[in-house]
Amino acid sequence: MTAPAGTERPVWTRYLPYLAVLGAAVVIQFLVTTEFPARLDNFFSDPVDSLGAWGQVNRRTGTHPLFTLVFNPLTSAVDGGIGLLETALTWLPWYILPTGIFVLIARRRRFMDASVAAAAMIYPGLMGLWEPTIETLALMSFAVLVSAAIGIPLGIWAAFRPRVEAILRPFLDIMQTVPAFVYFLPLLILFGIGKTNGAIATIIYALPPVVRLTTLGIRSVPKQSVEASDMFGASTSQTLFKVQIPTAMPTILAGISQTIMMALGIVVLAALVSAGGLGGLVLQSLQARRSGRGIAVGLAIVAVAMILDRVGRSMADSDRSKKLSLRARFGLLGGLLIGTVVGRLMEWTTFPSIWAPRSFDWIDTGVDWAIANWSPYTRAINDFIVGGIVVPLRNFFIGTVAWPALMLVVAFLVWRMAGPRLAVFSVLAMGFVGSIGMWDLSIDTVIQVMIGVFIAVLIAVPVGIMAGRNERVEAALGPILDGLQTIPSLVYIIPVVTLFTLGPMPGIIASVLYAMVPGVRITALGIRNVPSESVEASETFGATRPQTMFGVRIPLAAPTIMTGINQVIMMVLAMVVIAGLVGGGALGFETVRALTRNLYGHGFEVGLAIALIAMVLDRSTQALARRFQPPAAT
Amino acid sequence: MTSTAPSETPALSAEHVWKVFGQKPERAVQLAEAGESRSDILAETGCTIGVRDVSFAVKPGETFVVMGLSGSGKSTLIRCAARLIDVTKGTVHIDGADFTAMDSQQLREVRRKKLSMVFQHFGLFPHRRVIDNACYGLEIQGVTREKRHERALEVLGVVGLSGFEYHYPQQLSGGMQQRVGLARALCVDPEILFFDEPFSALDPLIRRDMQDELIRLQQSMKRTIVFITHDFAEAIKLGDRIAIMKDGAFDQVGTAAELIRNPATDYVREFTEDIPKAKVLTARDIMVAGGDSSRRVDASTSVLSLVPMLLNDPTPIAVSEDGFVIGQVDKATVATFMDEA
Repeated sequence: MTAPAGTERPVWTRYLPYLAVLGAAVVIQFLVTTEFPARLDNFFSDPVDSLGAWGQVNRRTGTHPLFTLVFNPLTSAVDGGIGLLETALTWLPWYILPTGIFVLIARRRRFMDASVAAAAMIYPGLMGLWEPTIETLALMSFAVLVSAAIGIPLGIWAAFRPRVEAILRPFLDIMQTVPAFVYFLPLLILFGIGKTNGAIATIIYALPPVVRLTTLGIRSVPKQSVEASDMFGASTSQTLFKVQIPTAMPTILAGISQTIMMALGIVVLAALVSAGGLGGLVLQSLQARRSGRGIAVGLAIVAVAMILDRVGRSMADSDRSKKLSLRARFGLLGGLLIGTVVGRLMEWTTFPSIWAPRSFDWIDTGVDWAIANWSPYTRAINDFIVGGIVVPLRNFFIGTVAWPALMLVVAFLVWRMAGPRLAVFSVLAMGFVGSIGMWDLSIDTVIQVMIGVFIAVLIAVPVGIMAGRNERVEAALGPILDGLQTIPSLVYIIPVVTLFTLGPMPGIIASVLYAMVPGVRITALGIRNVPSESVEASETFGATRPQTMFGVRIPLAAPTIMTGINQVIMMVLAMVVIAGLVGGGALGFETVRALTRNLYGHGFEVGLAIALIAMVLDRSTQALARRFQPPAAT
Repeated sequence: MTSTAPSETPALSAEHVWKVFGQKPERAVQLAEAGESRSDILAETGCTIGVRDVSFAVKPGETFVVMGLSGSGKSTLIRCAARLIDVTKGTVHIDGADFTAMDSQQLREVRRKKLSMVFQHFGLFPHRRVIDNACYGLEIQGVTREKRHERALEVLGVVGLSGFEYHYPQQLSGGMQQRVGLARALCVDPEILFFDEPFSALDPLIRRDMQDELIRLQQSMKRTIVFITHDFAEAIKLGDRIAIMKDGAFDQVGTAAELIRNPATDYVREFTEDIPKAKVLTARDIMVAGGDSSRRVDASTSVLSLVPMLLNDPTPIAVSEDGFVIGQVDKATVATFMDEA
């Protein structure tokens, strides 16, 4: 029994805490009932309901200064701004839009970008989607412009004042972790349904990347460049505008294009609050189960994003040498003016539709064929996953396990992953979610998330490792991943719904498809960035390929891979919630129900539950990712 | 403008400059003045001492080199002198005016008119073409585009960058990028030039070219230069006077010959040991008392070039300065010196 000093304790003792917690959980199981006592069931919902009703009344006929002086004018301003954009865009002869976009970008000699953007503007017209596309274009441009107008100055401010950044950071974190879906409801109280709600939700959701990347960009300007500018006696604003902002421009632009991508994701959902445009059409095709039309509309949304991205890039290009000559620019401008005048006189304002979304009917035919031929198999998979996994898990965690036992186990696991502070937070969060009566729904959602994450990671990590090792694999995957990431997620849920019937399954599959992308990309990045010297060192010892892979590459890439998994989890959660629209049930469905039926209180509680789940999942996996990081150099 | 009358005012001077990083700088200075060690001060106050009571004066037209290894505080010192960071204690004077006491308006004014700096990693502006990098200082001063471009073209020609004016910095090699840095500094016609390890990021051959280039330029322009380096050979090659810096303070200040002949500390001696002394020391440094002879050399002739003269003809050579004979060297003196070296 006398172990020599300095040796480790036997391995099995490491599992003692786990066994102890499990034991405690079993004991609790026999002492407590399973039902969570929802003591605060009406604590939030009642006041929020009355607040909602109060808001509803005040918005229309109100006298309260908050509405008469703040929200109603804001609503009119936003509505007016978007309306003005829309009117202007529809007033123009149709061909002025694509040519105008072409000229706008081509004046920087970016002819390739200009052609792509012009083609993207023509596509929706050909599909007979001209008007809804203009509506979406106006909504998105407005949201992106406002995001940039708020985000860039805020980011610059934060770059210079660490205090400001410290205050902003938690807000940006929450804005980025909480699924976009959650924003609509509180805004519903203040702004009602319509474009304003959609625009403001989009702005809130899309703001963090501009702020973050602007701060990052300004901070990463080489110190010596700033010192050089100072040494010439430049004032603070001269240095800012002549050195720091131009040098940071590529990073700021990356932020704006991320913002555009995020806006793209939410613009479909904005249809739920009647923001109209292409999003409404996607929802319609979802309800009518018309995949072909859904994809045609989805591509139009992608086209809008592409236009905004290219125009944004050309605007930020400050390289004078690439400008066209003054004469050429005046010529183009004159041409546009003449074109406008002629077009107005001839009333060529509506797009001469040649095709219609019907040209994507072959997809519907294909899906029909697939249903006819594959559904025995897909239904079997569906029944296996839903009947064999989802339902038993749900029954076990909701029906059998006592809530304090579950809380204990979760708290323990979070504590092992992320330390005591987050463990306490998770206990408080779970207690809170249970108290407001969201226990069962939350567990249901978390189960779906876990299954989605499990499948996504199972696919994404090996594929990512392959892509990281082999450039050809990565090149081949590129377009597929791009497509999955840019096409609004709701669009490819449609064929999945038809194949697998309603229920949790489409949500899980769609979330796997959607979330795989960052998983694959970040894993590949991690594997590729393993220093070649480390690999060579391993090989010179005569290690086999698997030995090098498992002994060197994967451990060195582990922190990066964990970051990827964190993103997978967040995206699966976002998607599982959205899947409430296609019968995924749980919190997602409740959100949709609350939105469409003005159940303010209920929606608010659901939103809180989703936000808390997102925060606990995000923080604990991020902490786990940090633990994989080798100790920093001192 | 080279002053013929002996000017008493140094172009740049520092008086008891301290720079302490941390929350309690005053306390740290007190402790340091009481003679406590760096590590004790760090333990007690959490402060790091960057520069410790440094004083020096640079004459107009002089090249003053501060040589030190990394962590010696040389970069901090040059940043204090240029007021890129504020000193904790002490003063810096430029042309006799208290630079450390100036408000930001005056500071900008002095920088625009008198100062320039060349950086280790060049600090170029990647979004500007070479010509727009070069004329940045003039742009800040509000000089018109036409005039500043004219001046930039001229200066770019002087540093050998003709033909590259409309490239972007990233398109040039490291050595050429630093020429852009040099052109940018010269474009505003500064009185004082700060060089912060400008050539350490370059490979050895390019570095030698750039050093020669700087010597050539300095011969015609006669600016006051403060030059930071970690390379003792570079310090000897460029510096009229050299300060050896260690742990935030100067170990010794003097000409290359003074440092090599009389290293004040073991630390200084370590640097001088690897230096080919025959190239640095001059006839003046090794001469013995003696009279005129048929052959005369100037006192500044290096020992190395005396060797072939004495091999051909071993008779003593007179050493003269300003026409007066001040001593002589013969084969024995040189041989003894070479043995010791």
